[in-house]
Amino acid sequence: MKVSIALKQIMAFTKRDFKSWTTYKTSVITQLISILIGVFSWGVRASYVQRAVSEMYDSDYISFLIVGIAIGNLIMPLVQGVERRLNPWTLETILMTNMSTPVFVIGNVMWNYLFSIITFVPYLVIGVLVFGVEMNVNIPATILAFLISAAILMGLAMVSSGLRIVTKSTDPVTWAINVLQNLFSGIAFPVVYLDTIFFPGVSTFSWFLPQTWVYHLCRLAILTNPSITDPGIAIQFLKGLIFAVVLLPVGYKTFKWGVNRAKREGTLGHY
Amino acid sequence: MRGHHRGHGNSIRSLDGIIKVIKGNQGSFIEALGGLDLQVEEGEIFGILGPNGAGKTTLIKILCTLVLHDEGEAYVNSFDVQKEPGKVLDNLQAVLPGSRGFTWRLSGRQNLEFYALLYGLEDEAARKRIDYLLELTGLLERADDGYQRYSTGMQRKLLLCRGLLRDTPIILFDEPTTGLDPYSAAEFRKLLRDRLVREEGKTILMSTHNLSEAQEMCDRIAILDRGKIIACDTPDNIRYKMVDTSQFNVALHENAYVERHEEMLAQLQGITGVYRVTPDISHEGELKGLSFRIDKDMDLSAILESLLGYELSIKAINSEEPTLEDAFISITGSLPAPPWRRHRR
Repeated sequence: MKVSIALKQIMAFTKRDFKSWTTYKTSVITQLISILIGVFSWGVRASYVQRAVSEMYDSDYISFLIVGIAIGNLIMPLVQGVERRLNPWTLETILMTNMSTPVFVIGNVMWNYLFSIITFVPYLVIGVLVFGVEMNVNIPATILAFLISAAILMGLAMVSSGLRIVTKSTDPVTWAINVLQNLFSGIAFPVVYLDTIFFPGVSTFSWFLPQTWVYHLCRLAILTNPSITDPGIAIQFLKGLIFAVVLLPVGYKTFKWGVNRAKREGTLGHY
Repeated sequence: MRGHHRGHGNSIRSLDGIIKVIKGNQGSFIEALGGLDLQVEEGEIFGILGPNGAGKTTLIKILCTLVLHDEGEAYVNSFDVQKEPGKVLDNLQAVLPGSRGFTWRLSGRQNLEFYALLYGLEDEAARKRIDYLLELTGLLERADDGYQRYSTGMQRKLLLCRGLLRDTPIILFDEPTTGLDPYSAAEFRKLLRDRLVREEGKTILMSTHNLSEAQEMCDRIAILDRGKIIACDTPDNIRYKMVDTSQFNVALHENAYVERHEEMLAQLQGITGVYRVTPDISHEGELKGLSFRIDKDMDLSAILESLLGYELSIKAINSEEPTLEDAFISITGSLPAPPWRRHRR
């Protein structure tokens, strides 16, 4: 019964956000055009580089980059979704509905996430048809990678939300993680390349960033057709899972802490 | 003796004094509420009055679990607001004008449908309830218009609809008619008093700084000043008990204002129980009347005898009842009430 109410609540958020999104017709059109332009711009850049990515994924650079950018588009809404939707006049009202924290967080990001999945497909289709992206997808591994990624990013989203409720602006933790991800998470190059550019061992730092695991597991699953029963692959997924298992409760606790602290200070409705 | 402390029925009760300390902008701490003790009974409209910053909104937010108090206990229908927030929220709904939470691009009905889902209402029940509330508030005809097209009054009514979606026995209002035009405000007050309380038996706790609204609507009021309750009673009792003076007016057939009238004013001013005498003199120098600020219990015959002694021709006499505004100023303003009237009830 409670699960069905939770699902209804998540659906309510999704339906509301979808309906609201469709009323902004100009924005819908510009978003769709941005997706198309985005794929082509990254595709052309990667074509120009034309380098083999022999490290980690044994792929070509176009496939590596297009898949990475698609993953980036898929995951960013999860981190940004709650943060963008957090405003004090909504927060107070929503908290008075007595809904659970996970439902609040999932509900607020669901439409953005669904939309990003919808945009994920044209990225890959255009990548394959126009730029010759080669994918070696393993479906179970991809599903698992997406689930682990979603859990990691949901945890981060809750950390971010909890801190933002207190700071009323950008939270320093998520800001730092997002800034560092540009250099260390391997969006546009394999993280081991950092050892070549800087000094050996610097890429070790990358593996402490949650986003690195999101990109890594999704690329493994989509580019290398891995078997999750292979011990080497299983260990990679297990390490990602550990991040998820740690970040989810940390995020939950941080969110609750943020709400309680704001309630204690009487600043829940402030911004 | 926890059970002994708890409220019963559809009541709100704070015991042992709620203390709420909040952080100031510069890191200092401000005591927003300093030991409240009040009980709101089932089926009554209870008003919290006070100047800006008195702690009215903080009290309401404590009761609807949006602010945590530091000391004391508060119960809603016998549920502790800190220990059992879920059950408290099952029993009350708050209508806070600052926390809209409506999506501007959706219609009023769609917004209500969204909240009905969040509250876990069944589809059919939600549909019926929404139709009922839209009809109740007069929004039915405009239900499918975008929220952004709603006037302030309509937005406030939609807030009320959302507050009533779950049909809780207790509703809290924070400044319910602020920003409404006089007609909408009167309509809104009628809706709360006649439909929600008299017909549906709901309990209402509302904060306001509109004194005439409190006088008109509330069964009882508490006057809050700097976080403390300094009076709590029916509006009439507060008016009569908290104000020491009343206004007494004498209209005169016009006479030229002459020197001996100065002497008369001095004599009137000297009568025990008369605090102030103000003559009403026209531009032409005619004495048209006299206004007296007097002790509310004084015998008026001494004044009348004095007036007749000066052969003034009296046209009309009237006395003005103390208003809630008089009481409020007396309690919180520059005319503080005597200490024995400042005790908490």
